[in-house]
Amino acid sequence: MSGYRLPAGGRVNRAAPLDFTFDGRAHSGFAGDSLASALVASGQMLFGRSFKYHRPRGILGMGTEEPNALVTVDRGGAGPGWGRRTPNLRAPSVPLYQGLTAQSQNRYPSLKFDLGAVNDRLGAFFPAGFYNKTFMWPRSAWEKLYEPAIRRMAGLGASPTERDPDHYDATYAHCEVLVVGGGLAGIDAALAAAADGGRVILIDEQDELGGGALSDQALWGEVADKTMALRRLGNVMVLTRTTAFGYYHQNFVGAVEQLTDHLAPAQASGARERLWRIRAGEVILAQGAIERPLVFDGNDVPGVMLSSAGRALAVRYGVAVGRAVAVMAVHDSGWRDALALKAAGVNVVAVIDLRGEVAADLVAAVRGAGIAVHLGHAVTQVAGRHGVSGVTFAPGGTGQGQQLAVDALLMAGGWTPTVHLWSHAKGSLRWDDTWGAYLPDVAQENCRAVGAGAGAWDMGAGLALGTLPGPKPIWQTKAFVDFQNDVKARDIDLAVREGMRSIEHIKRYTTNGMATDQGKTSNLNGLQIASGSLSKPVTDIGLTTFRPPYTPQTFGALMGHHKDALFQPIRKTVIDGWADARGAVFENVAQWRRARYFPQGGEDMHAAVARECLAVRQQVGMFDASTLGKIEVVGPDAAEFLNRMYTNPWKALAPGRCRYGLLLREDGFITDDGVSARLAPDRFHLTTTTGGAARVLAMMEDYLQTEWSDLDVWLTSTTEQWAVIAVQGPLARAVIAPLVEGIDLAPGAFPHMAIREGTICGVPTRLFRVSFTGELGYEVNVPAEHGRMVWEAIHASGQAHGITPYGTETMHVLRAEKGYVIVGQDTDGTLTPDDAGMAWAVGTKKPDFVGKRSLARPDMSAPGRKQLVGLLTEDPQEVLEEGAQIVADPDQPVPMTMLGHVTSSYHSATLGRSIAMAVIADGRARDGQVIHVPMPGRTIRARVSASTVFYDPQGSRLDV
Amino acid sequence: MLLIHCPYCEEDRPEVEFVYGGEAHIARPLDPATLSDEEWEHYLYIRRNPRGRHHERWRHTHGCGRFFNAVRDTVSDRFEQTYKAGEPRK
Amino acid sequence: MSDVLAIPALAVAGTDLALEAQAVTASGVALTLEAPASRWSLRARTAQALSGVIGRAVPARIGETLDGIACLGPDEWLADLPAGTALPDGAGQPVSVVDISARGVVIRVEGAGAATVLSSGCPLDLDRFAVGRATRTVFETVEVILWRESATVFRVFVWRSFAPWLWHALKAAERG
Repeated sequence: MSGYRLPAGGRVNRAAPLDFTFDGRAHSGFAGDSLASALVASGQMLFGRSFKYHRPRGILGMGTEEPNALVTVDRGGAGPGWGRRTPNLRAPSVPLYQGLTAQSQNRYPSLKFDLGAVNDRLGAFFPAGFYNKTFMWPRSAWEKLYEPAIRRMAGLGASPTERDPDHYDATYAHCEVLVVGGGLAGIDAALAAAADGGRVILIDEQDELGGGALSDQALWGEVADKTMALRRLGNVMVLTRTTAFGYYHQNFVGAVEQLTDHLAPAQASGARERLWRIRAGEVILAQGAIERPLVFDGNDVPGVMLSSAGRALAVRYGVAVGRAVAVMAVHDSGWRDALALKAAGVNVVAVIDLRGEVAADLVAAVRGAGIAVHLGHAVTQVAGRHGVSGVTFAPGGTGQGQQLAVDALLMAGGWTPTVHLWSHAKGSLRWDDTWGAYLPDVAQENCRAVGAGAGAWDMGAGLALGTLPGPKPIWQTKAFVDFQNDVKARDIDLAVREGMRSIEHIKRYTTNGMATDQGKTSNLNGLQIASGSLSKPVTDIGLTTFRPPYTPQTFGALMGHHKDALFQPIRKTVIDGWADARGAVFENVAQWRRARYFPQGGEDMHAAVARECLAVRQQVGMFDASTLGKIEVVGPDAAEFLNRMYTNPWKALAPGRCRYGLLLREDGFITDDGVSARLAPDRFHLTTTTGGAARVLAMMEDYLQTEWSDLDVWLTSTTEQWAVIAVQGPLARAVIAPLVEGIDLAPGAFPHMAIREGTICGVPTRLFRVSFTGELGYEVNVPAEHGRMVWEAIHASGQAHGITPYGTETMHVLRAEKGYVIVGQDTDGTLTPDDAGMAWAVGTKKPDFVGKRSLARPDMSAPGRKQLVGLLTEDPQEVLEEGAQIVADPDQPVPMTMLGHVTSSYHSATLGRSIAMAVIADGRARDGQVIHVPMPGRTIRARVSASTVFYDPQGSRLDV
Repeated sequence: MLLIHCPYCEEDRPEVEFVYGGEAHIARPLDPATLSDEEWEHYLYIRRNPRGRHHERWRHTHGCGRFFNAVRDTVSDRFEQTYKAGEPRK
Repeated sequence: MSDVLAIPALAVAGTDLALEAQAVTASGVALTLEAPASRWSLRARTAQALSGVIGRAVPARIGETLDGIACLGPDEWLADLPAGTALPDGAGQPVSVVDISARGVVIRVEGAGAATVLSSGCPLDLDRFAVGRATRTVFETVEVILWRESATVFRVFVWRSFAPWLWHALKAAERG
């Protein structure tokens, strides 16, 4: 009833036995086995349950094409919460190692007794498009009822939930010739290419080169010799266990190399997989061909498999697929396989062939080997559920049946050249009658196909059938086309009867050839059946598109190094380490991590921020502003350029002075802002928002290079050149005065919105007198390498004045008390300067600036625009939620008319109450009005303030 | 990943060094104030989006930093040619 | 746990990274953080115009280097000069001379496997990247300037805040 290990033969190492478990049961195999060959050798024919009907399934193929035998391999974790569990591995492609632990999938509670198999009994109720048709109504039930239930019953293996302890490698590689496929055709191509002296890469998915030749003992010597020759060449790199999963433009090929999964976990070290990103001058595809199953009633019973699989088991692995084996062929290759199996010691009892005539030499050889021959016959029935117990075959498939006691049936349905990668690269295909398949035709890239994949292989003669003829009408059969997706011949027929005409529609309606399988064994049979149902030639049906990946790949491999600590760069300032050591709480701003607040003695954020705010208002605080974007604008036309970019005038700005700049997009909406300084007639030091730095520089470069290339001015990013320390508060001057040299800090000599160059702590500084807090303030710019030293010196100098380090949360509160906007928080890409209450920043007399023309569009000054205003809740302790919606009348019916939303909201310790900003339709005209903020279970009342300035509206604290 | 010929570096470079910059040969009007709302809308928003030959801007951001123009087939995704900014439409 | 995870937090650029600057050798590649130098971003319409202002010869072709100055673009050069070197600021001239000495660091990748390690994240064909050539490019998502000093030495210029990630990514690549 099952397979067994032949007494001799195969490429396995019988001196190296390996123990493993499958569904908890102990088995053993040999080094060189795959999981599939070792299981068949130990008599296991049942590998899994099918996707939709939960039918028992064995292996179909012994290579990448395997659709049934999907298993989960558990390689153990690295402690609780960690795990290496990989679902959906194809058992024939899992190399055996000592201690391998595998489980079958899609069964409950066990592989042999599976409750889901009731789906199979109810199969008549699950036709093509069943889910689409049935679970449409009621709509609400889909999410809660149907989908979860379907997902439990259908599907492939379960996603791992544990964290992956492995790391992954990635690399680019370049070569003159890339050969995909290490069978003899690929080996020959690589040897020939190497003779030209260029760099050659040969990749193959198996653990040894040879491909199909590994199933032909007569070719083993040639494979060994040529492999040796390749390895001796200095310009050839051979990558085994490597799958080319996608072929992209201009000969860019993605491949994944398995580095450790073939080893026992204890022996594995280093990266688990490596992503190869290969750019090749020429690509040679030598992917070979995949055998086609035959479509007949019962063709999925475990023990029915491709003829090539039976041959690989016998010749490569020394495993007999059964005690008595029959071959059902419509192709000569089945006859050759019968002979190879017989020679390997397998009891082949019969070759059945639908064809009335087969090459005389094959017939004679098979008869001579003692195998019965039944020409003009077809298998009509397979007995057994968990394994084959016999077959019935009949003349022409419809005549009087006779029974044959066998426990394995091999199907030889002809061959399909593997054109997946060829098609990824948009190469065209042509139909070939001899193969009954599509072959590569015209390449779009510098690419050619060789070997069986190109049709260049003496594969004998055969028929290309949709289904085997049988006694029952198609709708009474369970004849599978796509084993992985559980698509039967009758599903395709039904799709055609229901009006599908394009093969793309038939594919999606039936799921034939979809998902991870990508139609490796089902594509051509599906086409032939559709062709029959539509009464049109195959070439008129069309062909579905093959898409990457050729086989499923792990997320880890695709991520490469970008995992865990290397997931993405986290940018830190030179002062970050100081803040970290003092227990600062951080937040991410763009790619930067910034200190948010500095809690002391168990303070929560509220308490820490209140303390920090009061310190800045009453004494002095210090803040790391290094992440601000900075651009040095240099050249004779620097002022002219800035005048064109920003909304306000720049040409008259005197050297040594600063100006606030508002930057619009050409559509008139605010995109960035910042204070910039004129250092010299032809040199400006610009600042941008932290998140806007790269965007603003790119935008300015765009205008400079493509619109105003006549201007002599250049832009250099200096964001990371300068560390920036904001010292803010009434005592700021006293703190920095002892450290500064060469700059007169007296208010008359160094007023608000000015810049001076000198030294601080002995290092050069660009000292800005600016304020984002409303207090007397300086921003100390020093070369980044000195930032930490200067920060610590200011901190030490400030001790006498009660200096308090503060973070971004405090900065936000302080600026909100002053009504200063944060672009991207209080603006959202739809606010004009006037909407934001910053009409004062627009130089209306300027003839042009970026965005000016858009501001003149009627809509930009129409009534009803949302305007930025202040909000004060009636309950001063109520802090609104940022993003909360605002309505005029909370009692109106739902859906309510939304007037706008809260953009910024904080508790202000200085004011002893909450403050907020919001964008509200016609907001300024609502000055003093009460608006409502509906929240779950209640509504909050707040009063609109046309001004956003809550503190020191005269600005007297700045000018000291 | 495409290879793109940078007309300044005079060599094919990997796509990840470049940033796409929209349709090419749309010059900012010299005096926007004289444009009607319709003309300004056309300049700002209306693009050809052709099937086939497309003139477009690219910038070799992580290379020489220059904007340049390209003719790319939007069906095959192939570059026909690239040329320096300021050169006439090809 | 893997080694990558064992890094508690990537070291901070500048001071903290310098602590790790000892050479790492395995697979024949050493990573070193170079000492600070005098570095400038130089811009002008022509090499001649720039040369006249700074009083030094500069290469005219993109990718070429000459006496510590690399041509990165048609109007852009990077000067990498001994620490303390000053350049005229070109006031009033149609040039831009900007001090970027503190903007980034240079990671030196040295050894027979240097090109292989860099190829883990750099998409250029480094086998064909001539000695003496320099270019701006990327290592994965991080912009770098690559300067090949010799067959076995690449210098990688990177902005300060990206340096820790790049350093550890190169170490990961070197380890394989």
